[in-house]
Amino acid sequence: MKFESWYDKNYKKLLIIPAILLALSLIYITAFYVQTGDIINKDVSLTGGTTITIQTDVSAQEIENAVSQTLTDFEVKTISDNAGNQIQLMITVGEQHSEALETALEEFLGYELASENSSKETTSASLSADFYKQLIVAILLAFFWMAAVVFIIFSKGKKAKTWAIIINILLGFFMGNFFLTINPVVSAIIFLAFATFLIRMYIKNSVPAFAVMLSAFSDIVMTLAIVNFLGIKLSTAGIVAFLMLIGYSVDTDILLTTRLLKKKESVNSALFGAFKTGTTMTITSIIAIITALIVVFSFASVLNQIFTILLIGLSLDLFNTWVTNASIIKWYVETK
Amino acid sequence: MKITFRIWLLIACVMLSLVAIFSIPPMIFEKGVIVSSVEQNSTIFESGLRTGMIITEINGQTITSIDDYSLAFAPLQNLGENETQKLTIKTETIEIINLFTKDVINDISVEKIPSSKIKTGLDLQGGARAFVKADVPLSDTQLADLISVSEQRLNVYGLSDVKFFKVVTSNQEKLMGIEIAGSSPDDLEELIAKQGHFEAKIGNETVFVGGNEDVTHVGRTGQDAFISECFEVEGGEACNFKFVIFLSEDAAQRHADITDELSINGSYLSKKLDFFIDEQLTSSLNIGASLKGNIATQIQISGSGSGATRQEAIEQAKIEMKTLQTILITGSLPYQLEIVKIDKISPNLGEQFTKQILLAGIFAILAVSIVVFVRYRKIKISFALVTVSLSEVLIILGVAASIGWNLDLPSIAGIIAAIGTGIDSQLIILDEARDKHESMVQRIKKALFIIVTAFTTTFVAMIPLTGFLGFMGIGAASAGLLKGFAVTTLIGITTGVLISRPAFADIAKQLEN
Repeated sequence: MKFESWYDKNYKKLLIIPAILLALSLIYITAFYVQTGDIINKDVSLTGGTTITIQTDVSAQEIENAVSQTLTDFEVKTISDNAGNQIQLMITVGEQHSEALETALEEFLGYELASENSSKETTSASLSADFYKQLIVAILLAFFWMAAVVFIIFSKGKKAKTWAIIINILLGFFMGNFFLTINPVVSAIIFLAFATFLIRMYIKNSVPAFAVMLSAFSDIVMTLAIVNFLGIKLSTAGIVAFLMLIGYSVDTDILLTTRLLKKKESVNSALFGAFKTGTTMTITSIIAIITALIVVFSFASVLNQIFTILLIGLSLDLFNTWVTNASIIKWYVETK
Repeated sequence: MKITFRIWLLIACVMLSLVAIFSIPPMIFEKGVIVSSVEQNSTIFESGLRTGMIITEINGQTITSIDDYSLAFAPLQNLGENETQKLTIKTETIEIINLFTKDVINDISVEKIPSSKIKTGLDLQGGARAFVKADVPLSDTQLADLISVSEQRLNVYGLSDVKFFKVVTSNQEKLMGIEIAGSSPDDLEELIAKQGHFEAKIGNETVFVGGNEDVTHVGRTGQDAFISECFEVEGGEACNFKFVIFLSEDAAQRHADITDELSINGSYLSKKLDFFIDEQLTSSLNIGASLKGNIATQIQISGSGSGATRQEAIEQAKIEMKTLQTILITGSLPYQLEIVKIDKISPNLGEQFTKQILLAGIFAILAVSIVVFVRYRKIKISFALVTVSLSEVLIILGVAASIGWNLDLPSIAGIIAAIGTGIDSQLIILDEARDKHESMVQRIKKALFIIVTAFTTTFVAMIPLTGFLGFMGIGAASAGLLKGFAVTTLIGITTGVLISRPAFADIAKQLEN
């Protein structure tokens, strides 16, 4: 029981590590925002532009040489099967060069691009911007409403719960109708006002619920920082992955919170029991995702991005659940 | 092992899902080819052949594949312009014997009978999707008219398996969405964004064009527009419709001048009034003899629709009437169209993709069962967990098949998410069942509390993506693309919490006792 006594002595100090990591992630994302004007790297599905996918044996290098004679800003990606044989090439350009790319490719390949031999996807910049905005709204709301459910379930007192419901519905209306459509500074201020009010209420009325939110929030922020650091360009599917992450990450937090609040045994024994179950859950998911990622990797589809983000997020979730959330809730239960 | 009510419920749901997916008798065993579209007003249509019928025999030859089908029609290729040949076509329900010209080859399109009722989305089966924007803000009625006109125009170009829908962006801009399954024409962009142009001609002379310059009013209700009569025709029923339009004086004068030149042929004039959409003839109407030389500002337009039953004929006539009315009202559209998004996905890519996903799924499940076995050291537990998870996949697919949901990539990501959280929940049940501090009932109760809480959080997190919150202004446009994710996740976690988790709790109890 050497570990247990060490843990009992130091668990509060352990909180310093996630605090530093969270702060570093937030600083990195802010710096990223200042540098690039956005908190993520967007791919063609979010910035607008054209992607042409052709089934061909011609190498990416040859295509690059051919296209670079007429266009400068483009990207070529190779897609191969599990044996490493090339199946397709994906060429992406900005929306305004869509026609030029098609002509250049047709000239080089010597045949017309039609639906039997190629795919073409074009999205205008304005529509993409709108999709992006709506996705951000969906993620923020998913997070806040998830938090509200956790609060309503774990807190006591009807009044605070009623307030939580009313404020979150108002937040929904605000996000749907005004957020980012009215002046961005004003909408940011209103959004922060909502967030501050809710977070204050959550901390005041239910520390365990707040711990769950903090852990989910850290998962998202740290994952985003790593995704940005790796230079991954996010697609709409990548944003879906963040939504999935919210769902997976709160599962273990809820398990932990329930076990500790409804415990019949000692705090540590409940905590270690929860740890055993929770890590089995997360590790099972991680292994399943790694396996799936290996299978689909060479195909370079949107699934790669979903699985990669989940992999990063779930690994961080192990840390955030069993260091951040566990320490806070142990602290809370022992001082109560 | 005792099979409790909850376990029976799970088994029943899996059975029902299998029926929903494969139907009874299983579609895999059906022989023949399925009719994917039939040209309206063609001889074969009038003979009773409809979309969805299964052709099993042509001229005594059994049809089991597309190749058989093409072979059976091959002799018709050699027919001259107006020559006909007798064909006996057997479907599962009817037998058609008639004389056909070689046009019949193009009037019917057929496909392989699908092996299940699961429908896949554009990104998996190939096809085209476009979002079209007008350069002026559209009202709901204008958008409905635009959709109606576009539908008619794409029909003129022989595209019938087309889905139209409304898309609203967060700036309240209304867009028209179009989806075409399978391979799409290469000039789709032009086809969609080109101006629809309507003309009514007698001979070579234009009497009036669509739009309110020439057509001042179009009757749409009551005695101004109605189904006038229905009668039997060969192979079914036909119904006539009539509606009135009011022409401007200029147009009426043109009508008078042109008809004055025509001769009378029985009760009608010698030439017909022909309607053209984008320079293609769509219908011809007889002109009553009494209208000769008449400056008629009010003319009656009639036409017909046919079908196998009277009801079908009435419906068809109503549709034809509505299209005609819409075209007359809008004429060439009073605004420019711009394509803001167009995706054309080759059908070949989708196939490879589906294979990859299946492969990934199989390996992921293998991995999960190995991890669970390593942790619990009981093959039974591992087996039970994987079986329950697989039955969840089946139930999700079953529900998707019965509501006609198109499974696209986001939907598949949703299935993965639902199964992943499902496995998490089952692990919670297993561990609670093994925990010896409390009574079994209490432990299972605690497990279900955790599971219901987790379910509720995921549920509210998905709601903004479904588009149900449109009244709050949330997720209208993106929902169109990511709705699938939310829908399959919701189906999965809901069946999980209601059906498979209680069943698994019963199984876990028995495995532990």
